Amino acid sequence: MTDILRVDELSAGYGPLGVLHGVSMTVRAGERIGIVGLNGHGKSTLLKAIAGLTGWQRGSIQLNGVEIGGTRSQGPGRFTHRIVRMGLALMPQGDALFHGLTVADHLDSGAFTTRAWRERKQRRERVLAIFPPLSKLLAQPVGRLSGGERRMVSLARGLMSDAKLLLVDEPSLGLAPKISRGLVEALMQIDLADGAMIIAEQNLSLLEGKVTRLLGLHAGKLKGGAVTQDTALTPHLLHHH
Amino acid sequence: MDPYYLVLTTVTLASIYGLLALGISIIWSSLGMINMAQGFTFAVSGYGAWLVAQNISQSGIAVIAAGVLTGALSGALIGAIAFIPLYDKPNFPLRSLIATLAISLCGGQFLLWIFGPRVKALPKIFGYGSYHIGTAVISREKIGSIVCSVALLLITLAWSKNSRRGLEIRAMMQNPEGAALVGVGLRSTAMSVMMVTGAMAGLAAVLLSQNYFVSPFAGATPLVKGMVVALAGGLGSVSGALIAAVLIGFIEAVTAVGLGGQYVLITQFLFIIAVLLIRPRGIGGMIEHSRE
Repeated sequence: MTDILRVDELSAGYGPLGVLHGVSMTVRAGERIGIVGLNGHGKSTLLKAIAGLTGWQRGSIQLNGVEIGGTRSQGPGRFTHRIVRMGLALMPQGDALFHGLTVADHLDSGAFTTRAWRERKQRRERVLAIFPPLSKLLAQPVGRLSGGERRMVSLARGLMSDAKLLLVDEPSLGLAPKISRGLVEALMQIDLADGAMIIAEQNLSLLEGKVTRLLGLHAGKLKGGAVTQDTALTPHLLHHH
Repeated sequence: MDPYYLVLTTVTLASIYGLLALGISIIWSSLGMINMAQGFTFAVSGYGAWLVAQNISQSGIAVIAAGVLTGALSGALIGAIAFIPLYDKPNFPLRSLIATLAISLCGGQFLLWIFGPRVKALPKIFGYGSYHIGTAVISREKIGSIVCSVALLLITLAWSKNSRRGLEIRAMMQNPEGAALVGVGLRSTAMSVMMVTGAMAGLAAVLLSQNYFVSPFAGATPLVKGMVVALAGGLGSVSGALIAAVLIGFIEAVTAVGLGGQYVLITQFLFIIAVLLIRPRGIGGMIEHSRE
């Protein structure tokens, strides 16, 4: 199995604030990793740091063996588009949608990574099969959609690219339990092939038993190491929830 | 007051202001930068067109192409100086405002140095003569202005609707971080925005220079008017800018006919103050959501 992502001694934060303190992890092809932890303990920052969106960061991040991390003291987002074109898709908290653009525009924009652009029609079919409700909304501006529909657009946009590594930040945030369960189900059914997926989620029960490994993030440090699908969570990890 | 005359003047002014305001508006929403150097682009495009008219060809197409091309180059230059080195530094909106203001002032002096203080006149590219519509008389140059600017506006809008680059720009206008997340390169997209809006200013320069002379600081008034229209329209809103251009053009036409040309700036500014008092986000604020 090849390593899709290898994070080594990653620290990151914003301005004077340090959020992550020496995080190391490895994600292999075909894995679905769940990252759990309380609000403010660094789940989103970890995903943002991988996409180069934090205020500063140091430590190594390798995507498919290519270094995308390194030390950076300013310029959040400066290299994000390059990292994305190298095969990363981040579906962030708050969705980062374009409110005036239609659902169809969003799906097209998800295919900006060069190879995907030519195949965007077929890709759209495939993504709409995962999120059927979107096919009726293609001409709607995203600003008019409900929260659940917006989350679907955000996830669908992320799936339109050639990404080898999918990062999903809090798929359940702000949604009714039934809807978030449906979204997580959809995420579990995606065929990863030789890619991998990391889901950050506060609600442990949504991921339990569904992901390959669960990692706990507490006060900017990974705790609990690897917990396999069939092992129960260590008491020490549960303690934080 | 002759209604035909009013409508024709309104449309002429609106199409030219629309070109300038749309540029300012698009730059603001996609790059987050208030481009004070749009007036410089305007002035330098006039000179570009004049140089071609003097040395190469007097034909309308050549003069317009020269103005549009100079405008695009000037836009690229402004982008390279004021956007690329600054955009990821703290306090970018203020820094870029000062940078573009500096480009505008230096550029004006540079033009004065190179071309001297004597104003230049562009050839009448649409020829002389006029047509009768209803009771109004419309000159060929007015028809030419309207046709050219509407054509450029339509081409730009169609391009932004249907091309990949256009979608990238629209995405960036709505949410720069989201755009970076789908792989839009901020820098290369910003340069194409600067070139397209520069080309718009360049066309506006050639069209306005049919009535006014080309001079080093000719861009000041168009910049102010473009800014007024962009603000009244709601910075960042394309449809808002177009509606505001029509309204401001109408006010100018009515004021010029009813009160006299010297009151035009007064009524225009009273109008924009009224708009911003009632709707702080401008006309476009009620139509679409864009960068706050």
